[in-house]
Amino acid sequence: MKSSASRNILALSSTALALPGIALAAAPPTQSTASYKLSNYQEDDLSRSEAPFGELERYDIDVHQFQLVSPISRNMSLQVDANYESLSGASPWFTSRGLDGEPIVNLSGASGIRDQRREISIGSRYYLDSGSVAGNIGYSEEDDYRSVYFGINAERDFNNELTTLSAGFSHASDDIFPTDALLFNRVENENKKSDSAYVSLSQIINQVSSFQVAFSVTEQSGFLSDPYKLRDSRPDEKTQLALSTAYRRFFVGADAALHVNYRYYHDDFGISSHTGELAWHQNIGTRLQLVPALRYYSQSAADFFTNVDDILKPLNEFQSSDYRLAAFGAISGGLSLIADIGSYRAIFTAERYVANEKYSAYAVSQPSTALVSYNRISLGIEYSF
Amino acid sequence: MEPKLTRFTFKAMGSFCEIQLFDASRVHGKQLARKLSSEVARLEAKYSRFKSESLLSQINLAAGNAKGLAIDTETVSLLEHAKSCFETSDGLFDITAGVLNTLWDFKQAKVPSQEQIEEALTRVGFDRLAWQDSCLHLPQGMQIDFGGIVKEYAADSVARLARELGVDAGLVNLGGDFSVIGLRPDDRPWPVGIQGPEHPQDVIAGIALSAGGLASSGDYERCFLHEGKRYSHILNPMTGWPSSGLRAVSVAASLCTVAGSVATIAMLKEEQAAKDWLLESGLPHVWVDSHAKVESSGLSEQG
Amino acid sequence: MRALRTVLLLALSALLLNACMEVRAWERGYLARDEMAWDPDVLESALNDHIFFSKEASSGGNSAAGGGCGCN
Repeated sequence: MKSSASRNILALSSTALALPGIALAAAPPTQSTASYKLSNYQEDDLSRSEAPFGELERYDIDVHQFQLVSPISRNMSLQVDANYESLSGASPWFTSRGLDGEPIVNLSGASGIRDQRREISIGSRYYLDSGSVAGNIGYSEEDDYRSVYFGINAERDFNNELTTLSAGFSHASDDIFPTDALLFNRVENENKKSDSAYVSLSQIINQVSSFQVAFSVTEQSGFLSDPYKLRDSRPDEKTQLALSTAYRRFFVGADAALHVNYRYYHDDFGISSHTGELAWHQNIGTRLQLVPALRYYSQSAADFFTNVDDILKPLNEFQSSDYRLAAFGAISGGLSLIADIGSYRAIFTAERYVANEKYSAYAVSQPSTALVSYNRISLGIEYSF
Repeated sequence: MEPKLTRFTFKAMGSFCEIQLFDASRVHGKQLARKLSSEVARLEAKYSRFKSESLLSQINLAAGNAKGLAIDTETVSLLEHAKSCFETSDGLFDITAGVLNTLWDFKQAKVPSQEQIEEALTRVGFDRLAWQDSCLHLPQGMQIDFGGIVKEYAADSVARLARELGVDAGLVNLGGDFSVIGLRPDDRPWPVGIQGPEHPQDVIAGIALSAGGLASSGDYERCFLHEGKRYSHILNPMTGWPSSGLRAVSVAASLCTVAGSVATIAMLKEEQAAKDWLLESGLPHVWVDSHAKVESSGLSEQG
Repeated sequence: MRALRTVLLLALSALLLNACMEVRAWERGYLARDEMAWDPDVLESALNDHIFFSKEASSGGNSAAGGGCGCN
């Protein structure tokens, strides 16, 4: 269609598509939304064979999340987040060899840990013609930890809003002041800084599917070891890279959406990992949704991971028996039920997570005996006004 | 669950309006339709020249004000679209031409003098408008109105809002300007009857809309005769005299807004030029000319 | 790592070149639905990010790291 008349139609169409009531470009939300989610997750107890001495009970954590998102002008929205977390229980203090020569775990202290975390952050997004810019700052504190952070990001639409490019940067400065530092010969006050950047591209493929690919880089420096472990010494610098992809597809006949996510991670502690997530968002009528979800995770061990602490090793040689640096795989499955009732939405979720060296996709030379499994339930409410 | 049809009718923008949508619950469907009708009310309150508190009335009252008037993104976008219509029609579709209507008293078949027309023409001309940084400057004596744009835009906006609210199947009808929300269950299109300009009951053509919109423009009053010449009610903004164009046009396009602009432009052109232009556009359409001849093109292939 | 990156870039280009059909404004209804969002439940993904951060070594991907906590 190259006639002048069709060029005219094209000219009329392009100005019509730019009208705010028609354009599907990002725009500030027209309503405010207040959300609250209450979650509890409990780590499985260790078995006596894993921990012949002392505590068996691990963490039991309650999390309260609050969020308010509100348009504050024609082009701007405000977001406030507040989180409160309380945990009780014990975590691995050191590992050693048991009577049969196999590694065993010793959980921290007879009285266990009781800690709370409070976090608040505030952010704003400013909408322009073909995109938006946003900034946020936040603060998190615990009995022994404090973190201050900020971030900025920008998004731009191209190609008649079929393509979106976004990028962002964030910086965090954390202070660690372990409890009972002098008593247990721990560090008294240390700092850790983290700088992170990402870039992401989203693309609408057709009326029912879209695809996203993103890349992030994070640099950490400062005190990166775990001060509560008897013998834990890690490098004072860490570079992390992550490449993630996501796919969304709507099935009209089934009235359901498929979510597929994949992420590859690598850092210079020597850890690489694969994360794969699958979820099926099934609509039931117009007001209910059921979402079964599955996640598979596998990481390799850090170069300096050991499943038995060697207390005699010189301090300047890196070592850690922290299970989070071991090679293992984890499978988790969950189910969510979402109900829309007028201006409210209720979300109930139950999830089970199991980590095991047998699930690992990477070679496991030293399996950790402290791998964690847990159950989680959450109840969330959203109110739009 | 079988989706049920909800039909919600209301009056807005001087016309009979109807929103049809499918929802599992009629109660919920009605709630949705009511919410959607408020979007039409919002646009009417903002751009109606019959409401003194509307933004449009404020704009017209501020004509001649050197400081100009602050306008929002939506108004700027409508002005941009009006500009596109002005350029596409080579100056025939001019939103400042409303001042000419006050000259002609069609009921008494009174024809204004040439001096009166010349004077009014000095206050017509879209290119005299200027808007920068969301500030509109309307010269003294000029007036604008978004007739031929805002009702069609409202239809598209309501359709988009309906889809955002989760409606899959529905049709918006604002006084004969249609916008499809989504196909009927089982992927069936919406059958729409196009009314003739003489009698509302005369359906001159039918079209099955599966997506996009349909808009109509017409000269619904009887033409009046003066000194042996036939005059329509559509005024040419460049000469100040009525044009002798088509009697009615209906156009289907990817957006009701676009269909409305094309139909309005076609009505402003001379009859033969309008017929040729519509055919060249490739859009499905039907016209009624001054001899009451009806011809349609592409209606059966719409989809 | 390099091979993986190449594969992903090729897959992306193939998708972009092949599939970018024009999706008109009124045809984007399905894409605008809640369940088709990258992140339908923001609090849930924030919670998961936080939990996995405290139990696993990986983090990052489609956003910059946020604030820290004493859990890792």
